[in-house]
Amino acid sequence: MEGFTYTDIFATKGVEYLLVISVLLLFIPFWRMVSRPAKAIYEAAESVVPAISEWFRLPEAKLYYHQGHSWAVPESDNVVRVGMDDFAQKLVGKIDGIQFPRVGSQVTQGEKGWSLLTGSKSIDMLSPVDGKILEINESLLSSPRTIGTDPYGQSWLMKVQAPKITSNLKNLLSGSLAVKWMEGVRESLLARMNYKLGAVSQDGGVLVDGIARNLDQEKWDEIAREYFLIS
Amino acid sequence: MNTVSALEEKRQLKDMLAFIRSELKPKGKLLTSFNVISGSIIILGAILILYRLVRGIGAVTNLSQEFPWGIWIGFDVMVGVAFAGGAYVLTFVVYILHSDKYHSIIRATVLNGLLAYVFYAGAIFLDLGRWWNITNPLFGNKFGANSVLFLISWHFLLYMIAEFVEFSPAIAEWLGMRKLRKVLGSLTVGAVVVGIALSTLHQAGLGALFMMAKGKVHPLWYTEFIPVLFFVSSIFAGLSMVIFEGAISHRVFSDKISHEDHAAYDDMLVGLSQGCAVAMFVYFFAQFLILIHGWHWALLNTTMGWWYLTENVGLVAIPCFMFLQGARYKNQMLIRTAAILTMVGIVINRLNISVIAFKWWIPFSERYFPSWMEIVITMAIILTEVWVFRWIVNRMPVFGKPPAWAEEIHS
Amino acid sequence: MGIDRRTFLKGMGTGIAAAVPGSSLLLRKAEAKQIGAGKEFMGVLVDTTRCVGCRSCEIACAEAHGMPVPDIGDTKALDKIRPTSVTQWTVVNRYKTDKGEVFAKKQCMHCNQPGCVSACLVKAMVKREEGAVTWDTNCMGCRYCMVSCPFDIPKFEYNSAVPKIQKCSLCWEKLSKGGKPACVEACPAEALTFGKRRDLIEEANRKIYTESGKYISHIYGEREVGGTGYLYISAVPFEQIGFRTDLGTTSYPELSKGFLYSVPIVLLLWPAFLIGVNTITKRKNEVQHGEGGKR
Repeated sequence: MEGFTYTDIFATKGVEYLLVISVLLLFIPFWRMVSRPAKAIYEAAESVVPAISEWFRLPEAKLYYHQGHSWAVPESDNVVRVGMDDFAQKLVGKIDGIQFPRVGSQVTQGEKGWSLLTGSKSIDMLSPVDGKILEINESLLSSPRTIGTDPYGQSWLMKVQAPKITSNLKNLLSGSLAVKWMEGVRESLLARMNYKLGAVSQDGGVLVDGIARNLDQEKWDEIAREYFLIS
Repeated sequence: MNTVSALEEKRQLKDMLAFIRSELKPKGKLLTSFNVISGSIIILGAILILYRLVRGIGAVTNLSQEFPWGIWIGFDVMVGVAFAGGAYVLTFVVYILHSDKYHSIIRATVLNGLLAYVFYAGAIFLDLGRWWNITNPLFGNKFGANSVLFLISWHFLLYMIAEFVEFSPAIAEWLGMRKLRKVLGSLTVGAVVVGIALSTLHQAGLGALFMMAKGKVHPLWYTEFIPVLFFVSSIFAGLSMVIFEGAISHRVFSDKISHEDHAAYDDMLVGLSQGCAVAMFVYFFAQFLILIHGWHWALLNTTMGWWYLTENVGLVAIPCFMFLQGARYKNQMLIRTAAILTMVGIVINRLNISVIAFKWWIPFSERYFPSWMEIVITMAIILTEVWVFRWIVNRMPVFGKPPAWAEEIHS
Repeated sequence: MGIDRRTFLKGMGTGIAAAVPGSSLLLRKAEAKQIGAGKEFMGVLVDTTRCVGCRSCEIACAEAHGMPVPDIGDTKALDKIRPTSVTQWTVVNRYKTDKGEVFAKKQCMHCNQPGCVSACLVKAMVKREEGAVTWDTNCMGCRYCMVSCPFDIPKFEYNSAVPKIQKCSLCWEKLSKGGKPACVEACPAEALTFGKRRDLIEEANRKIYTESGKYISHIYGEREVGGTGYLYISAVPFEQIGFRTDLGTTSYPELSKGFLYSVPIVLLLWPAFLIGVNTITKRKNEVQHGEGGKR
């Protein structure tokens, strides 16, 4: 004889639905936790390199930044001085040389401006403005060691005649927007950091020149290209 | 392409044979402690296998009329196949989602998957009472197509072929056969797609085998959702095995792994850990949902109930949390420990359904416990698989970089 | 380029090829109808109130199938509850109930929808037209039938190098020639009746309702696990005479149906989905790498 037991399937179904909904809701914070490194990792990475705000010097003068980490300063009369920012230089480390296009040739905003040469690798950077190259910083060519020592001053890269200067500048970042952008870049850099970075400095290891090289010894040029918006 | 004259082809063939013969020689020290111990177990296992073939299953196992399936099915096949799940999960990530992160371990994982199925099919072969009829589900006119086991046997065979195709480029590279390598490379994605579809079904299928054991499997474990649970658990079982096996291979075959792969390892570990955490989160709440669905609360406060909680809280929820924290804090130790706990949990889960929670009412003295011979044969099978894995890794481009000519093909 | 034709065809082709075994399940339904048109399932009605425990059925079964004949003189045999075994396809057990001693004959129930038949991947277990469930030697010895039987009937010869599965065959070889099972012919107490299952149910109902109060109002096997060929009527509740009453009325093959039906679906959907994702994500990578340097 089969025993008949009464299970109120309506009640169980109700509880099941409630459970599914709460699991889905729970999943959201769970997912966020899983995909992000813990705060302690950020803090550990920060403590490794002292005063991280010093990493990327933002100058006082009004500069216009391109999101590929080049900058432009209007000088006189549609002539613009162009360079690469401190972050770019620190990311890549020691630069052996720069390959410029010829004086007199055209550059376009958002397209290849020049190439950084380091060891066997060559990494392009994007030009912040449209125009004709008037002058390149000869002193960098003769003594490449000075590249990046004064990224906003003496280590400027080239002077460009930019007829469309006003519209170009509209596409660039400056002031508080630039500061916010830089902070975002810093966050993303910290997130990439391996706990290994912390381990290296803890055993008194030496940080290799160039942040990108510390993140990935072999493929650091790809990381650099990512930040310079070269695909 | 180069046209090769007949004479040159003959010379190439001779070179090939000489090469293969030289590769058959052992590399490295023969009498290491690992070799001696594992070798003796393998030899003992081989003798016991012969004994089993001559005298029947009863001479070697403790199987009985009440317990027709033991550790050869419950452990070798069910746990082994769950652990081999890393292959279909990682090939999905690498070949379907085009993620570059796991490229360095994909070949080892596929190789492990292939070997696992080959050897556990071997375990099934030993468990068959009338093993000479093993071809009956494959050839002939008496297909029991309505049987879940029929599906599983076909899937095992097809999946082995798919895994072999996925791994074959490494073999072609080893033998220096360029044209073949190109052809095989183009088949990879197809093999991966087939492999994932097949895996989904036979991972679930191993669970579906017990659908007809209603009334024999304890109600806390018996549910119509066993196939789904098996499928989901195979994801994190496979990934945990990848973590575990990776930790060992990383050390043992360290000389074969390139510098950049060593560095990428930490990133991969975090990714694998994340995958496990998410899959286990889903699994845990699926179990919870099933518990509510069946409304078996009263059973939780029994011995079997506590055992059920040990399995699902202690060996699923806790390692899930460990994986989560391990990924967030990039803590290798935590991740590896979580992987081991997870693997233990999988072993217990599969054994529960097949042996422990199976006819749970039968008193201890009459229950099935594996005989020492069953255990030795199981270990012999696993160790032989390890030996074959080592042989292949020492000769073919599994961990190391493929030869330069193969990189150019880039499929 | 997206997925190339070769890999696409390979994927779909193998998927469809592997779906064939799953879909042949649908074919079986058509066949079943044709079988039903010819013959009806036979069965055995066991009236436990008439069984005296003489075990003549055990002797007849052993003699009919060349197995060692059990020793009737051994009165201790009935002290324990015995299962069937590799040398005994049927056993009679004695139960102490609140209505005194009751004897119940145990053997394969010859289910309408046998779990063992559904489990057998080589069709060694087969449901015959007459209703008998029989075993054949193309068996692989996988013992899945043992796992799937709700009554734990199939017994395996573990101690043989050429093991067989041993269970009652309803004397099928005799049935096809118009005979009756040996146990039914041997029973001196008329506790066993052989006939069409449909007729036996009528007969059982007749007994229950005419001899009011003698039997409990239930035919065991009428609906259990979808209905069995062996039917039992009893004066006492069936749990008291060794029957499982928690088996439900769903036939055991139904329990696997959900999974089996999902097979063709997965084999069709997964490859399409996977190739789709592969193509989409590939395009994204290609666009990134193809149009380099433009922003």
